[in-house]
Amino acid sequence: MNAQMGKRTVKLKSVRDAVAQIAPGSEIAIGGSYNRRHPMALVHELIRQQKGGLVLKGWNNGIDYDLLIAAGLVREAHSSYVGMANLGLAKNFRRACETGGIRYVDHTETTAQERFLAASKGLTFALSKVPLHTDLMRQAEYQAEIRCPFTGERYAALEAWTPDYALIHASRADRYGNIQFDAVRMMENEPDIFIAKSAKKLIVTVEEIVDTTVVMESKFQTLLPGFLVDSVCLAPQGAHPNSCDARYDFDLAHGAYYQGCCTTDEGSRAYIREFILDTPDFEGYLQKVARQKEGKPYGCQ
Amino acid sequence: MDANSYTLEELLAAEMSRHIRPDDLCGFIGTGTGGKAYIRAVGIPAVAARLAQLRQSPDFIMCLGSVVDMELDGDSIPETNFEPDVLAWPGRSQLPSYDVLNFFMRGRVSIGFISAPQVDRFGHTNLVRIGEGGAIRARFPGCLAQGEIMAMAGRTFGVFQHDRRTFVERVDFASAAGRNSRGGLPGGGLSLVFTQYGVMDFTDGGEMKVRSIHPGCTRRQIAENTGFDILIPEDVPETQPPSAEDLRLIRTRIDPKRKFLNAVITGAPATLLDE
Repeated sequence: MNAQMGKRTVKLKSVRDAVAQIAPGSEIAIGGSYNRRHPMALVHELIRQQKGGLVLKGWNNGIDYDLLIAAGLVREAHSSYVGMANLGLAKNFRRACETGGIRYVDHTETTAQERFLAASKGLTFALSKVPLHTDLMRQAEYQAEIRCPFTGERYAALEAWTPDYALIHASRADRYGNIQFDAVRMMENEPDIFIAKSAKKLIVTVEEIVDTTVVMESKFQTLLPGFLVDSVCLAPQGAHPNSCDARYDFDLAHGAYYQGCCTTDEGSRAYIREFILDTPDFEGYLQKVARQKEGKPYGCQ
Repeated sequence: MDANSYTLEELLAAEMSRHIRPDDLCGFIGTGTGGKAYIRAVGIPAVAARLAQLRQSPDFIMCLGSVVDMELDGDSIPETNFEPDVLAWPGRSQLPSYDVLNFFMRGRVSIGFISAPQVDRFGHTNLVRIGEGGAIRARFPGCLAQGEIMAMAGRTFGVFQHDRRTFVERVDFASAAGRNSRGGLPGGGLSLVFTQYGVMDFTDGGEMKVRSIHPGCTRRQIAENTGFDILIPEDVPETQPPSAEDLRLIRTRIDPKRKFLNAVITGAPATLLDE
């Protein structure tokens, strides 16, 4: 091992190095919900490094799925929602489903969440009554009807999800990967905690890196202790254009610009080239977005 | 606008509020998106819930996703439905989304409020797609928590666009359970259906039927705009219009800025009758 005698392992890595370890074809769980706190710095880097053949798992997704699908990197995806919240449909997702470009499997909010939760508890399946009498039961490889051995009640058994990697965005951490969340936060995103625990490996981006003494002074905010974490990466504004709890709001202007670009496949590809492939990293993307807002030249256009 | 005229949104909110009972304790709506979809799924139910709170159902609380028992009057309602405003919404609790959804599992949600682009004769809804297999003609955003609502809530109230594309004999994909096949499900399924023409409920056999027709609307309009042979009883009454007091409460106390009923909160104002 590379750990030095008596020294804890530093988990802090660059986004580039953290993503480099992900093998093409991996199963990737993505945190966040709607237009909130998706780990976009990691999503962009998956595209920069062209990690293809991915299987995506989430409970509620938006521009994270839409971009990876537009980039042609997704072979299969699972969620209860893929959309752009107030900005309407996720256009690349929609086109890919309508043209058969990806295999997409539908779930409800809890039937997706429960799969992560079961895996986080070491179980191989979860239980739910929700899919009974719906066409979700026709997706037979993911659920099967069973009976309660005590009461005889009908349930759907839901295959648990143990993705290769979970990618989430959090508030702050120390270099050892003790992950903290702000006390005032959007509680829709709480499944991030068990999504993180369901995966074989966990990569977390954070808004700030702080000293361990700061973590110890606020230990009640550490919802993922460092031993669970494989890589922690500094990514300020790392959920952009999504919101990040009370730290920043959804970037409506850039979201609307994205939606405008994605009206056609060509437009989506041009957006990805301009804002992802032609930027060295997420910071470069944020600078381009800022320059675009100021009306300054920001690239080849 | 005077007290003798009212909008469709006001009519539906006032009518829906009358169906909330004194022993209903908890309602659930989604967080909603924008424009007309927001009016149907969130705006009308929120105003209906507040009207009921002010009258027959003072103990009725609403969950809007993770936002639990928020204030539903005028200035308390946020300017936008984006994160900082939603986080600052005056209320009594914010819970993890799965805790709120577990209220359903435990049978604690009296009424779930929904909308969908497709609903059928037996009250299945479809948030998934039009078409099948390799011939998907339209892909929708997905099931969200509608399956939870329709499986587990005591009752479900839905607001829909009334046309033949929406009201079909059989949905292309049943993303939530209907009224005719419910073995093992604790909830009641879709109970009341609100549209621009009337209010529908279901027979004991689980088939949709007209319960009342809005003032100025006709049986023929409903029949022509429904994609199946809908039951319309001979003696079907007229929907009770909103009272002067309903309109005063809606316009001065609950929703003076039309944040809910015209989706001003979403930044995409609309009315249900827009083409």
